[in-house]
Amino acid sequence: MEAPFRIAVPDSSISLLKQKLALTTLPDELDDAGWQYGAPLADVRRLVARWQDGYDWRKSEAQLNSELPQFTRDIKVDGHGVLNVHYIHQRSTVVDAIPLLFVHGWPGSFIEVQKILPLLVEASPEHPSFHVVAFSLPGYGFSEAPRKQGFELTQFAEVGNKLMIALGYNQYVTQGGDWGHLITRRIAQLYGHKHSKAWHSNFPTGNPPHPIHRPLLLLSHLLFKYTPKEDEGLKRTMWYRDQGSGYFAEQASYPQTLGYGLADSPVGLLAWIYEKLVLWTDNYRWDDDEVLTWVSIYWFSRAGPAASLRIYYEVNKAYPDLANKPEPTTIPTGYSFFPKELISLPRRWLQVPNLVFQSEHDSGGHFAAHEKPKELVEDLRKMFGRAGPAFAVVPGKVGYA
Amino acid sequence: MSSRTLPETETPFRIEVSDDKIELLKKKLALTTFPDELEDAGRDYGVPLADIQRLVSHWKDGYDWRKYEKELNEELPQFKRDIDVDGFGTLGIHYVHKKSEIVGAIPLLFVHGWPGSFLEVRKILPLLTQTAKDHPSFHVVTFSLPGYGFSDAPKKKGFAISQYAEVGNKLMISLGYNEYVTQGGDWGYAITQRIAKLYGGKHSKAWHSNFEVAAPGQAPPRLFTSPWLYLNNLITPLKPADKAALERTAWFAKQGRGYSEEQSTQPQTLGYSLADSPVGLLAWIYEKLVNWSDDYPWNDDEVLTWISIYWFSSAGPTASVRIYYERKNTDAASNSATDSTRKAPIPRGVSRFPKELMIFPRLWTRTPDLVFEADHESGGHFAAYEKPVELVGDLRKMFGKGGPAFGVVKGNDGYQANAKL
Repeated sequence: MEAPFRIAVPDSSISLLKQKLALTTLPDELDDAGWQYGAPLADVRRLVARWQDGYDWRKSEAQLNSELPQFTRDIKVDGHGVLNVHYIHQRSTVVDAIPLLFVHGWPGSFIEVQKILPLLVEASPEHPSFHVVAFSLPGYGFSEAPRKQGFELTQFAEVGNKLMIALGYNQYVTQGGDWGHLITRRIAQLYGHKHSKAWHSNFPTGNPPHPIHRPLLLLSHLLFKYTPKEDEGLKRTMWYRDQGSGYFAEQASYPQTLGYGLADSPVGLLAWIYEKLVLWTDNYRWDDDEVLTWVSIYWFSRAGPAASLRIYYEVNKAYPDLANKPEPTTIPTGYSFFPKELISLPRRWLQVPNLVFQSEHDSGGHFAAHEKPKELVEDLRKMFGRAGPAFAVVPGKVGYA
Repeated sequence: MSSRTLPETETPFRIEVSDDKIELLKKKLALTTFPDELEDAGRDYGVPLADIQRLVSHWKDGYDWRKYEKELNEELPQFKRDIDVDGFGTLGIHYVHKKSEIVGAIPLLFVHGWPGSFLEVRKILPLLTQTAKDHPSFHVVTFSLPGYGFSDAPKKKGFAISQYAEVGNKLMISLGYNEYVTQGGDWGYAITQRIAKLYGGKHSKAWHSNFEVAAPGQAPPRLFTSPWLYLNNLITPLKPADKAALERTAWFAKQGRGYSEEQSTQPQTLGYSLADSPVGLLAWIYEKLVNWSDDYPWNDDEVLTWISIYWFSSAGPTASVRIYYERKNTDAASNSATDSTRKAPIPRGVSRFPKELMIFPRLWTRTPDLVFEADHESGGHFAAYEKPVELVGDLRKMFGKGGPAFGVVKGNDGYQANAKL
């Protein structure tokens, strides 16, 4: 049964956070370290001070509750029992709007739908509108976490699909980046045609981030053969592989070990996430309170931050060959390319059957829905609109006012 | 030749952690928030929750740091000395120094690694300095690497392997050991290897390690991408021991290096939780103590003492992980710069323990400088701590009468009759 949900973090949780923050022990830092060694001390110190005194979680909580219509629902997952799933659901006023499932990743959350939501549901005779569903992945936000081992892409896909069907959307389209890309791809593989009718990704890659399998040597060999934009993309990809994948290697091998520090230390969690918010975006001007809200969602999450790491382990274990053998999908696919995405491969490497839509951008990074909401929604409107290649993929749902 | 005269800034040192620090630790422990855990996770996902909860509870209410602090002060004669490092200014270096009663004992520098510390010398120290007719004796020096234990940490970027080597060499010379031998594992291996390269012949006369990596050019580039396959094809047929060693190496290459990937790319980011969270630091290190040793029966107090040394270290735990970054990013450039003079390498010895993290086929590592090798049936990464008798036994064989490195240090062959005048 669906139940309306409002985020209501207990006072005791806020109080404990403040107690811990008051005892924060900061490390030293090398002279002129800048961003070379990780998140700079000055930034972290400032954010900790703000989190302790000034940042108002209740205000953010109220804003999220007022802007995002939230619910919870029990979803039964084969082999894993029943999980209570937290999600946002907003219908357009346009009755035949296109049902769209938005799937976030790490270190993202349901909050990533916040800016695109009003644009997606907006009614207009000029462009299609959508009924939007965005769930907290199990182990994230206010969803329960899996209790058993082996909860991988197939299970996350199952949750997304079952949720849409439970909401009356027997057929729908999807949008995702980061883990959302892999999960919506799995949805396309498992439920394509029958339920998922098209999928759009802002993290186009046949190979998931996998530092151990990717051949750096090969990439640098090919560096000289592509367009300037593609060259930049490859440089970015190599940077990610060489300097930006430590978190991945640990989360994919010993997430529990890492989890103790992230669950216990607000500053530890803050730094771990903040580093990504800055390095993975394209000069996005993060506001301190914005950062703290993102991090607080992890800190106050139902399962705690350690649970969110396990997807790396489970997927790495279930698909040791994922890097080498991507399974194609057969439903219409759309890609949006943002230049500061972490893995940015030459376009001809990414051609897949049924790639019906591609869009290039001159700015923007990994968190496209948060950094470039207008551009991302514009891409979806183009892909699914009257003149678009995926118009009416969901029969009867064209979404025009 | 003249030995350097450094300013007389040697002071005896006692570990004396302030009451404030102990009190803050307890306050933090009292507020520990534990994560959840999957059913039947065992050790697959990392350190089990039950272990961590037990250790935290004990650390908070029962573990007596003062008791172990006193023990360390009594067992290990410690000092602190300023060492000037080219380009980095002066660093206060904490070290242990124990002389044998035999005047002509062999000066030996022991170098630890991560997540180890000066503590790793404690079991081998009495054995090394022991005097006997039938085996050599050693004067032993071990220092806390800069950024570890009670040594200062470097303040500038670029403090890489050569700098650690410089500290070790300068320390030995300042103590009057113009010629010496070394023993090291983990970072101690890389550092003593660099000492051999930079100061070999002139100062370092031979080096022994319990860790080896196949030399560049010998290790196949595909090792870390398809370790099992590659190694499997390379060595056939395999004895059970060899097979286990390869499995271990494959495990480490494929799954065991996450900590190293983070520490060598974003050490500061990781460092915030290590510095702020006792349980975070505990788990990060304890996992290695268990996974890297050969079923060593750690007792809780032992574990907590290891971790407390990091928690109470002068520079804090974050400083200790930067060596990974500097090795990856700085060292590659500086490495080749020291190759200009091709001098003869000094004699090398190795002791192999089956649960070491990386074990390479003999033919890759049996370089011409190898004069001594020993294989053991048990033992892991922390050889000096897990297998002190065996390790010292190997050193006695290597450096003793009839051994391949006997008498490398002129006038200090380790025996009574050859006392230095």
